[in-house]
Amino acid sequence: MIRALIVDDEQHAREELQVLLEATDAFEIVGSCSNALEAIRVINRDQPQVIFLDIDMPVLSGFELLSMLEKEQMPQVVFVTAYDEFALKAFEEQAVDYLLKPVDPERLNKTVEKLQQVGASTLPAHYRTAELKRIPCIGASRVKLINPGSVEFVRSDVSGIHLITDDGEFFTELTLKTLEQRTNLVRCHKQYLVNPEKIDEILLLEGGLAEIHTGSGRQLPVSRRYMKLLKETFEL
Amino acid sequence: MKLVFDLLQQMSIFLVIAYLFTKSPAFKPLTSEHLRGRHKLILYLIFSTFSILGTYFGLPIQDAIANTRAIGPVLAGLIGGPVLGVATGLTGGLHRYFLGGFTAFSCGVSTTAEGLIGGLVHLYLMRRGRADQIYLPIVALGTTFYAEAMQMGIILLLAKPFDQALALVKNIALPMTLANSAGAALFISIIRDQRSMYDRFGAHFSARALKVADRTLGILSKGFNPQSARELVDIIRKETGVGAVAITDRNKILAFAGLGDDHHLPGAPITSEHARQAISGNQVYYADGVNTPFTCARATDCPLGSALVVPLRVEQEVIGTIILFEPKNKLFLNLNRTLGEGLANLLSDQLLRSRYAEQKNLLTQSELKLVQAQVNPHFLFNALNTIIAVVRKDSDRARDLLLHLSNFFRKNLKRSGDLASLEDELDHVQSYLKIEKARFEDRLQVVTRIDSDLLSLKLPTFTLQPIIENAIKHGISQLLEGGQVTISAQRIGNRAEISIEDNAGTYCDKLAGEGLGMNIVDKRIRNLFGADFGVEVTCIPEQATRVVVRVPLTERPS
Repeated sequence: MIRALIVDDEQHAREELQVLLEATDAFEIVGSCSNALEAIRVINRDQPQVIFLDIDMPVLSGFELLSMLEKEQMPQVVFVTAYDEFALKAFEEQAVDYLLKPVDPERLNKTVEKLQQVGASTLPAHYRTAELKRIPCIGASRVKLINPGSVEFVRSDVSGIHLITDDGEFFTELTLKTLEQRTNLVRCHKQYLVNPEKIDEILLLEGGLAEIHTGSGRQLPVSRRYMKLLKETFEL
Repeated sequence: MKLVFDLLQQMSIFLVIAYLFTKSPAFKPLTSEHLRGRHKLILYLIFSTFSILGTYFGLPIQDAIANTRAIGPVLAGLIGGPVLGVATGLTGGLHRYFLGGFTAFSCGVSTTAEGLIGGLVHLYLMRRGRADQIYLPIVALGTTFYAEAMQMGIILLLAKPFDQALALVKNIALPMTLANSAGAALFISIIRDQRSMYDRFGAHFSARALKVADRTLGILSKGFNPQSARELVDIIRKETGVGAVAITDRNKILAFAGLGDDHHLPGAPITSEHARQAISGNQVYYADGVNTPFTCARATDCPLGSALVVPLRVEQEVIGTIILFEPKNKLFLNLNRTLGEGLANLLSDQLLRSRYAEQKNLLTQSELKLVQAQVNPHFLFNALNTIIAVVRKDSDRARDLLLHLSNFFRKNLKRSGDLASLEDELDHVQSYLKIEKARFEDRLQVVTRIDSDLLSLKLPTFTLQPIIENAIKHGISQLLEGGQVTISAQRIGNRAEISIEDNAGTYCDKLAGEGLGMNIVDKRIRNLFGADFGVEVTCIPEQATRVVVRVPLTERPS
């Protein structure tokens, strides 16, 4: 059984696809998400082997969703779309297959074959994914999309991942690893990423430790483990 | 006393010549307010001739000449200023000098001085800002009177022997002063009358031309066809008063009004050789009825005897003619000829403009078709996908959705007309909304508030659908939690406002950029109803997008 996740903003489309997938007896449906943010959380948590992904969705498109996943956890991707002739080419490079809505069960069988051929059990899949240009953050009533360049640093604690910017603090579903991989933010501590552009000075302390002072006067710890990485970044 | 009558008689001949002069083209310069160099030269020649003629027509008396020479220089000075006056006086004076006699020198000098006096009066009046008084007969009378009195003085001063001069002056002073003054006054009064006639004539002509232009303006924007031609010929005939007016296209009469309308019927092919020549040669053809007669090819008893055929052109291509006729017993006025040619130019301009507008409209139509074609596939496949899913759960609802889908597409195909009622538009949109509502379920709320008085309101077809489609496709469907579209129609003053509002505010940049088809909708409404109407978009990012369509309450502007 292939562990599959359905991501589509339309309820009927999700339900229909679930019925079709279950009918093939090839899938175990781990979830059904109505938007990319929800999907990120479920993918990070449940690590499905394949996602059936709609492209045109609110706030974040299917393509953007892929750019927000950790490379190590990248599932196989099957795009499911109604009509998008210009994107068809892109599907081929970024997905194991694509399906057109309404989905023909016969056609779906071919997808199953393909998935079994590439070995859906082997994670991660390797796709060319777009650069992460916006980091989705969950606000009070809206999703705020933050440009990685405006982030000063990122902090992880028990409540989750926090972006610290000039405009305040925001909570995101993306993991530190994703942010580290997909943006120019640099790891300086197990729980911190820092934007090199925003560093004012690095104070070297005893025992291989260090402290970063940012432009806005905040202080971040640098652990021994990541000191080397930091030095490489600045070619020290 | 006899001398007085003789001089008056002589003056009469003078005035006849003066009258003829005012009828000749040489008079033209005097009708304008400001004299130019060339005009002054013409006036110099004319008034010098008058002066010399005055000497020739003069009566020999006591080895001198009683004459009306003074009129020329005085009037030249009065009308044209000191330089013209002195030049004319000098010419007349020199001529007199060479004729000899004991007063030859004094007359030469005094004639020049008379020109100068006229010129000084001109200067005086101009400086006082009383240019209008230059053509007053009383001014000419007074000026000439003083000029003549001065001449007598100069003769007494300069002519030798003095006693002979005194005897002469006693004899001629009164008759000459009277005759010259009266002559100058009458001459200037002839000029003045002629000038004002030209003015009135010009004003009348302009008024008529403007009136025709004003009344015909816009008629051709409805197209060049029998209806618009009919309106035009009626107006032109009424305003010009010619015997008959016709408008043709390249082959047949579109409309005819006036004498002979019993056999010059609209729709009949062009039989006149003149009209055919005007069309094929792209030139004005004029049969004045005297040298070139106009003969009607349809009826031998046709009352029409002269015709002016002017081609109507659009970008150098003749698309028809306008023909003015006069009956056999009436002369074709030059005035109407000018008017006819001017009219044809005016109408040609209008035709060009309306053709341009038509092309623009066609372009808009095809742009619109293109937009519709672009939109459909995405909507169609999503709709089908939704319905397929619904079939599993609720086959009645699926059937209902399929009916809406077919209604939507049928209307899309069928509606080729320009205008539709608001009710039709809403019906079209309702089918669309039903399907989108099924697709998005709770994520899409639609609120409709329509003033039912407005259901018969006319608006261009496909006005609402693209706007509502934008609100869903770029608006509501981009919200995680969904949103609401509010469609309302209300009367505001003398127009109706239809507003489509969503609470997404997610496509401000797209509207500002490519316009999402709003530009086309706007253009169509403006083309149909005028610049006071159209589409207005207000977008507050992340809050709302509101598109307001304004159309007139009446179907078309009058």
